[in-house]
Amino acid sequence: MKHLKPINDKARKLQQASSEDRIEEVLAMTSVAGCTATTDPGWEVDAFGGVTSLCQPMEADLYGCADPCWWPAQVPDLMSTYPDWNKDALSSAESWRNLNAVFPKDK
Amino acid sequence: MKATRIWRYLSAGALAMTAFGVLQPALAADGKALLEAKCKVCHLPDDNGVQRRIGYQRKTPEGWLMTIARMQIMHGLEISDDDRRTLVKYLADTQGLAPAEAEGLRYAMERRLNTIEEFDTQSKEMCGRCHSPSRFALQRRTAKEWEHLVHFHLGQWPSLEYQAMSRDRDWLELALKEMVPTLAERYGLDDPAWSKWQQERPAPTALVGRWSFSGHMPTRGDLHGVMSVEGGEGDNFRISLDGRYADGKPFKGKGSAILFTGHEWRANVEIDGVAMRQVFSVVNGEMKGRMFETEHDERGLDFVAAKSDQARLLAVQPEFLKAGEEAELTLVGSGLSGKPDFGPGVQLVKVLEQSPERLVVKVRAAADAAPGSREVKLGKLSGPSLAVYKRIDEVKVVPGYAIARIGDNGGATPKVQGRFEAEGWATDAAGKAYRVGILPASWSVEPFNERAAEDEDVKFAGVMQKDGVFLPGDAGPNPARRMSTNNAGNLKVIAEVEDGGQTLKGEGQLIVTVQRWNNPPLP
Repeated sequence: MKHLKPINDKARKLQQASSEDRIEEVLAMTSVAGCTATTDPGWEVDAFGGVTSLCQPMEADLYGCADPCWWPAQVPDLMSTYPDWNKDALSSAESWRNLNAVFPKDK
Repeated sequence: MKATRIWRYLSAGALAMTAFGVLQPALAADGKALLEAKCKVCHLPDDNGVQRRIGYQRKTPEGWLMTIARMQIMHGLEISDDDRRTLVKYLADTQGLAPAEAEGLRYAMERRLNTIEEFDTQSKEMCGRCHSPSRFALQRRTAKEWEHLVHFHLGQWPSLEYQAMSRDRDWLELALKEMVPTLAERYGLDDPAWSKWQQERPAPTALVGRWSFSGHMPTRGDLHGVMSVEGGEGDNFRISLDGRYADGKPFKGKGSAILFTGHEWRANVEIDGVAMRQVFSVVNGEMKGRMFETEHDERGLDFVAAKSDQARLLAVQPEFLKAGEEAELTLVGSGLSGKPDFGPGVQLVKVLEQSPERLVVKVRAAADAAPGSREVKLGKLSGPSLAVYKRIDEVKVVPGYAIARIGDNGGATPKVQGRFEAEGWATDAAGKAYRVGILPASWSVEPFNERAAEDEDVKFAGVMQKDGVFLPGDAGPNPARRMSTNNAGNLKVIAEVEDGGQTLKGEGQLIVTVQRWNNPPLP
């Protein structure tokens, strides 16, 4: 991280959190069973334990992140595992309702 | 046929969200033959005669289900639901986890998704930053198998090296050189607990009979009753529950259960028209775990049961008594007889009802009864405690930190509610705080911080009901919000409890967040 410089407000806040030794606070959030908070940004919770620094509305750029497997435990990754996941929802902002859960339901 | 198409086919119809929707005897074929027929084509036996990869792992039924599901999704395995169920059963039976090996991690199988997990920092950063560390902690593998798992992760999700807590270090080097040895040491394939359990595991017929149960459903209250278990052939059971809540409302239903690994009890039951799952461990005549709605796993209850041939005291309902007051208490268990002893200062006024499974008594606590938590005794039986208190000193919101999710609104994922209770605490003569129990409260939410106030999270994120249940908002972008953002929010959950003319306030935090589409049985 030492070679990276923050260029926007969010990045500055993250760096500040890091320098103020608030990493433990960030880590605590990763500890809620099955949630991710640190995949810059997290899926459920941001690095500050809130929701304001998340990518929201997440429909605005969902596939920009689902494609490179950014939150593969929460969002089906398009690159490797679920290439057809958004077949019926090519615009996530318009047709997010067509996105289905991927784990198989048993009969 | 592409993997996702297989999923679509498999997912058709109104089916149970979690695994093992309807449990039936293995009809398709026996597990061993299926393992040969379905898996051997890729997993050939090695020089030791062990089926490659598969033979060097042990895991829970949920773990095996996720493995086979992954084979379908990623490697084109074609298998019917019946055959998959048979295979999961066979693998969990022959390569499962002993009760002791799953201890402390059952919350993951029980879908207690507000659990704050405690793992070492490296495990959290290397693995737990994407998924619950319980996924690996509920597996046993050889070092080579742990190594394969690392390579699989990087191959399948290569961008993991670019994410935070990865790009600042040599993730692969650390994973192979540090995590693999750690995992192999902590969760190695061979464990005396497993060998011992294989010798000790009882015959399934030992579970047939009457089970007296006690439970607590958050926001709804205590309940108790009897669960009858019949059958046992092929580890399959028919069950019926006949119980009631503390307010008298019935809790009744029927279903079927299957026993994996000699102790992992999984059942599907319908209670008052609602499909529920049971995820218990059964050891030494005691069943313990959680029962939850199939479609809403956040709605569930803690459950403990004792078989009729075991004398056991399971619970006292309610679990507290105010000094100077008279109250009715219900003792729940099996093989109950005699008169209970609640310790000095608590007098037994009258036995109102008595059966081997239930003892209802009227008691009176003296005004000077010593405040504190005391063990209740019934003959030789003990276990549950009764909290006697003079006044409540503190109110805690439980869970203190919770995740709810927006949903519905025409989308595929249901809303995940927040469900809160107010826990009263008091102080004993020595100045030590002790838990009194769950108390009635008035509920509200407030913005957690300035940013939440600015974004009007309270207005958009959902509604807190009178009973402590938070109903999240609709899924999808909301044009009424700044930048059309989702109905997410960061809220303070406030419980107000009246006690002896004072109002005590407890606070918790609720994150209302977005839905997830990848929702396997282990988080």
